[in-house]
Amino acid sequence: MMTTRDEKHTGLHHTADKVQDTIGGMHGRVKAKTLGSHSGEAFAKNAAIGDIYEITAAKMALKRTRSDRVREAARKMIDDHTTATHQLRSAHRMSETGDLPELPTEVDMRRRKWLEHLEAAPDDKFDETYLDQQVLAHKETVDLMTGYAQSGDNWQLRSFAEGTAPVVERHLAMMEKLRAAL
Amino acid sequence: MAFNPLTEKGIPMDRQFRSWSELAGETYDTNEVHPYTRCRVILMNGIEVEAIMNSHNAARRTADSGIKQMLALVRKAEQQQQKRVNWLIPGSESTIANTIGYEQVAVDLTSWIARHEPDPYLTQAYEFGVLEDYDHLYRYANLMDLMGERRKAEEITGDLTEILPGRPTIFHHRHPHDELRRPMTVQASDIQSILNAMTVVSAEQQTMNFYMTVGNRPEDPLARALYLEIAQVEEQHVSHYESILDPTTPELLNLVLHEYNECWLYWSCMETETDTKIRQVWETHLAMELEHLRLAVDMMKQVDGLDAADFLPKGGLTEPMTFEANKEYVRGVLDRTLDWTAYDSEFVPVGELPEDHRFFDYQRKVNEGGTPSEDVIRRHREEFGGEYRFNTEGEHPNPSLRESGTAEDTPYDKARQNATETV
Ligand SMILES: [Fe+2]
Ligand SMILES: [Fe+2]
Ligand SMILES: [Fe+2]
Ligand SMILES: [Fe+2]
Repeated sequence: MMTTRDEKHTGLHHTADKVQDTIGGMHGRVKAKTLGSHSGEAFAKNAAIGDIYEITAAKMALKRTRSDRVREAARKMIDDHTTATHQLRSAHRMSETGDLPELPTEVDMRRRKWLEHLEAAPDDKFDETYLDQQVLAHKETVDLMTGYAQSGDNWQLRSFAEGTAPVVERHLAMMEKLRAAL
Repeated sequence: MAFNPLTEKGIPMDRQFRSWSELAGETYDTNEVHPYTRCRVILMNGIEVEAIMNSHNAARRTADSGIKQMLALVRKAEQQQQKRVNWLIPGSESTIANTIGYEQVAVDLTSWIARHEPDPYLTQAYEFGVLEDYDHLYRYANLMDLMGERRKAEEITGDLTEILPGRPTIFHHRHPHDELRRPMTVQASDIQSILNAMTVVSAEQQTMNFYMTVGNRPEDPLARALYLEIAQVEEQHVSHYESILDPTTPELLNLVLHEYNECWLYWSCMETETDTKIRQVWETHLAMELEHLRLAVDMMKQVDGLDAADFLPKGGLTEPMTFEANKEYVRGVLDRTLDWTAYDSEFVPVGELPEDHRFFDYQRKVNEGGTPSEDVIRRHREEFGGEYRFNTEGEHPNPSLRESGTAEDTPYDKARQNATETV
């Protein structure tokens, strides 16, 4: 599930963060596969938070990375997750989605931690931290989207998930490739 | 008044083909025709063109020779219907006069649909589009004078549709990603939402086809340029409206929905037509569509095991699509949403776009060497001492367009200047 790499150059603090991200990521994955995948309310909330995390992390990457390829990937994350945010917002306003609660406008605890870890990463470890998180986050999003597209309880949100799944699958492949090339 | 296309009996296919002389029958009289009869002719031509192109696309994607035969048989009849309908328009109606009719269709069709759309998001999509075609009508009406047409635009539209600036055409030009909306689903949407979208897609698509074909026929460079510019907006409109349809609709269900929609619209035309001869055409074509529908329903049952009666309304349809005046409605939309633009699937006031948004880059690119939809108004002012407008309900609802229909002092102009300053 996770990309395993030799971590011998990683500082202590950073290692601890990374383990937490991974556990957070795995936990998120399990949650996405089970709990979130049928309920439209949980799905919409999770999808919205995922987009906010992606955009915030990518903005950080644009400021801090020194790699053109990472910068290009971060720009793509901002563009594509902004599109997903808008598509979800539109879906949310349709009568097909009924009375869903308002979509969240902030990340949850778990993803706030991820963003803090990214913030705390030393400059020479920034790309590695960002890409490790990106691989985990996108594995989680792929599960969320494909799971809900197959068995979600709301047709409109399933349609949104079906339209978004291939995009985030390509993101995952891209991030895995970038991470492997570091 | 209810009409159930699933229970009515149609004309068998072997009796649907007509001779050349029947097809190229009498035309309407361009000076006498009711504006909304012209609108119905333009709309139903667009509906038939969509029936034909959809059938061709389906035929190209199926290996089943039985389905291919059914598609070919019905398509040839659709082609005859298209000829009968489009050949109702006389040669004495100039291209620009006919163009005014196309934009009147866009305004009063889209308004009716927006008023009868059950979904709030989709309603917004129609309201977004209607202000743009409303503006096209005004730009073309000004062009019509410049082209030396003997009639004024209001002689084409009657006093049913006002001719005033809408969202100025110069600001319709958006990045292509900002034309893509959130689709409805065949599973959960209202049947009326599906019919609405299929109808508007067909109308906009034929408008696009028309301008992209006839737009190079005038000699006047300004006329050619204006057609070109607006043809590009119609491309946007097709992208915008087609993206609200469910892209996962199975092929034969899609065919059933197309035929069902044709039934609804010919029935609507029949119910609302004032010209008795043309009413006859609608009636005949409705009887043909009932058989097209039956064949499609039958094939879908055999191939996919789907029963049309399970998802099409039990009691049939109760409300005919009606061409009627929407003056106050359009004024309300102008008042509420004139300054809107799109960001992906969402609609936002232009002032709320980030200053580095792709909208401004795209605007700079295409408007770089001047903009025909602005030039046409300026030239009309020069040659006639003012703009052409036709209003029956008082002054323009938007102060920025009261005196002048060109871009200066509009909210877009301000947003554009802010964006330029920060580059
Ligand atoms: Fe037809
Ligand atoms: Fe138009
Ligand atoms: Fe249009
Ligand atoms: Fe048909």
